[in-house]
Amino acid sequence: MGVFKLKKGYDIPLQGSAERRLENAPKTTAVAVQPIDFRGLRPAMKVEAGDKVSRGSILFVDKQKPEILFRSPAAGTVREVVRGERRVIQRVIIDVAGDSAEKFHSYTADQVKALSTTQAKEVLLNSGLWPVIRQRPFSRIADVEASPKAIMISAVDSAPLQAESDMLLDGQEKKFQLGIQLLSKLTGGKIHLSVSAKTKAFFANISGVELHEFSGPHPAGNIGVQIHHIDRIQTSEKVWYLSPRHVAQLGSFLSTGEYPGSKTYALTGSELEKRYYVTGTEGALVSDLLSTTLQNYTQRVISGNVLTGIKSSSLGFVGFYDDMITVVPELEGRRFFGWVRLGLNANSFWPMFLSRLTPKKKLAPTTDMNGEERAFVSTGEYEKVLPMDVLPVHLCKAILVEDIELMEQLGIYEVAAEDLALCSYICPSKIEFGDIIQKGIEAMEKEG
Amino acid sequence: MEMKALQKLLATLDVKIKEGPFKIVHPMFGAINTMLFTPGHATTTGPHIRDSIDMKRFMGIVIFALVPSILVGSYNVGAQAGVEGLFAAFLFGFIKLLPIIVVTYAVGLGWEMIFGHINGHDIHEGFLVTGILLPLTLPPTIPLWQVAVAVSFGTVIGKEVFGGTGMNLLNPALTARAFLFFTYPGNISGDSVWVALDGFTGATPLAAAAASTGPAVDALNSAGFSMSDMFFGFVPGSIGETSTIAILIGAAILLITGVGSWRIMLATVIGAYGMALIVQFFGGDVAGGMRSLPPHYHLMLGGFMFGAVFMATDPVSAAGTNAGKWVYGILIGVMVILIRVFNPAYPEGMMLAILFGNVFAPLIDHFVVQANIKRRLNYGK
Repeated sequence: MGVFKLKKGYDIPLQGSAERRLENAPKTTAVAVQPIDFRGLRPAMKVEAGDKVSRGSILFVDKQKPEILFRSPAAGTVREVVRGERRVIQRVIIDVAGDSAEKFHSYTADQVKALSTTQAKEVLLNSGLWPVIRQRPFSRIADVEASPKAIMISAVDSAPLQAESDMLLDGQEKKFQLGIQLLSKLTGGKIHLSVSAKTKAFFANISGVELHEFSGPHPAGNIGVQIHHIDRIQTSEKVWYLSPRHVAQLGSFLSTGEYPGSKTYALTGSELEKRYYVTGTEGALVSDLLSTTLQNYTQRVISGNVLTGIKSSSLGFVGFYDDMITVVPELEGRRFFGWVRLGLNANSFWPMFLSRLTPKKKLAPTTDMNGEERAFVSTGEYEKVLPMDVLPVHLCKAILVEDIELMEQLGIYEVAAEDLALCSYICPSKIEFGDIIQKGIEAMEKEG
Repeated sequence: MEMKALQKLLATLDVKIKEGPFKIVHPMFGAINTMLFTPGHATTTGPHIRDSIDMKRFMGIVIFALVPSILVGSYNVGAQAGVEGLFAAFLFGFIKLLPIIVVTYAVGLGWEMIFGHINGHDIHEGFLVTGILLPLTLPPTIPLWQVAVAVSFGTVIGKEVFGGTGMNLLNPALTARAFLFFTYPGNISGDSVWVALDGFTGATPLAAAAASTGPAVDALNSAGFSMSDMFFGFVPGSIGETSTIAILIGAAILLITGVGSWRIMLATVIGAYGMALIVQFFGGDVAGGMRSLPPHYHLMLGGFMFGAVFMATDPVSAAGTNAGKWVYGILIGVMVILIRVFNPAYPEGMMLAILFGNVFAPLIDHFVVQANIKRRLNYGK
């Protein structure tokens, strides 16, 4: 077992973590599968409004790679295929009714063991669960043809208010183990499973993985950071990764022979009346999940965590890769002489406010930018929240001047937008590091 | 309620000014507007919450850290001119300092407004600091028109031609001071400018040490400069640079708040102290002059401490990488001693040493970045 004690990083002291209590979600009325959740995906639709679907019916496929299928997490009727600007398909909404399910072959552990790599890929592609596996560099759906040097799974829950892996996986150890067995067919390399002090008990008896223990503040749980410390990506290498929850979902598909549409979410954030875990449906309607704990939607509702999540609403659906909803206070207006306040309740990484004297005190900051964009001025602080041997400011400057070679040299292959989210958070110049990194990744992809 | 009304008024003015015939003052209005009330922009993407820090607070803390130097410096200007009484001396000095600050701000903000208008942004907070730093590095007798010319040079040539705040190679305040030094040396060096009394001549401790024929410490003592005078700042010199203790209080504020780089401050002190030790070791047999000055005196004399704490640490013109900051600071420390010791025509080396460091900062960072690239290439080999 590798032990990694990371010092750099920062845990934002936030109010609103979820109680470790699991309930069934109120009835799910609608679900959606959203092509926009999968970066770079262009879908080819297989259904249209009015079609009846079962759990497991194909909704759309990847236009470039039609073997990658996207299946419905629930049975019902297609309400709408929502298109945005330039008719880009944003989501397929299904009104839930009944629970008819498509039947697939089911597998025992021994049968999975007997599969070849090609067969394992076929099973996975056919399941509609291929998209749960993503790939670094660039953090997108895994290449079907690639043979990854390793598969990484992070059960280190370091993001703000993050759902705890053992709660999301409650009672699914066997399914998780079966999922690992399938994954082991996909790589000649190792399967790395990272755990924290909190989650290691849950995974103690899992076989077929190399265990690593990570400790330290966020982003210690990020896959990019863990790859950097366990086995860095070098030119033309690929690493696949997925969340522990998705591993169990694979196992569930194999053992039941049905598309597993149920999913556990953490409901978090200071603005919820009650905060706990609910088991609902993949791609659930946000207002269904929150119906017993949030009355009006005047606050910021986020699918995911406060650092990297997507702004949602009562009409929104939870993102494919998100297993939490966070609700934080929305900005309240302009504050008189805000920049000279003493700041007893000011959220800050910097020791410039009185709140520094109470570092443990949990706060409920609003969505205030707390300033305006300025030129890069501060130096040396961003490194403190990035536990990687990467120079964040220099990398971003290389991206801004579109110097592909320099981006490559400075480690664009090793990072994703989420890894630099804390740099954006602490930045006095309010520079969007994540957006810049995203732009750099897109430039690299275009370059081929 | 008055607050809401004021906000409404500001919002109306904002539109009126932006679209009206006086839109050139909009950058200035924008700065005042957001100083009165936070901009009030909400996040649209992740991170959905942001740190409470912004550039206004960042720069505001630098100004706060300069307050001890302003207070003690003002008092000392009065005390040097022979004004009796704590408050009377302070008032005398402050009345000398205030016009210099006013001219610096008026002229500097004028330029900032023009460039803000051209480039379509508000006045950036960095100037608020520059506008206090420059006056504190000047003698109290400086003619105000020279201040105006220097600020223009520092702002336009030192900063705006590079693209404005964040892009400049050199520290704008030091650029302005260097401009004065080379164009009007009679008003910023020599023995007659440091005390705000007409016709009064008196050398600074630095000049006294440089001119000494016997051991420099004896020369300082016989000129009446005791160790404590130099530490507390009761000697002739630039307004804000004489009081080591006031600067150290400022340094503590910068370090506690994380605004100033401890690496740069420490490296500059180490570089200067180390180089002064070396010089003293090899030049100990020399009877007088700077070579005979013990290292700790160097740290208290002239602009060293002020430069190390407030000028060298300017994050834009300093080295940006953490490893680079050590090299940059040591370079400045070594250079200041070399200039003081080996360039007898110019006993004050700090200003030039920092500008020298500014020029080399990008090169220093380049090597640090190359080392990072090399580590990445060699990984796994």
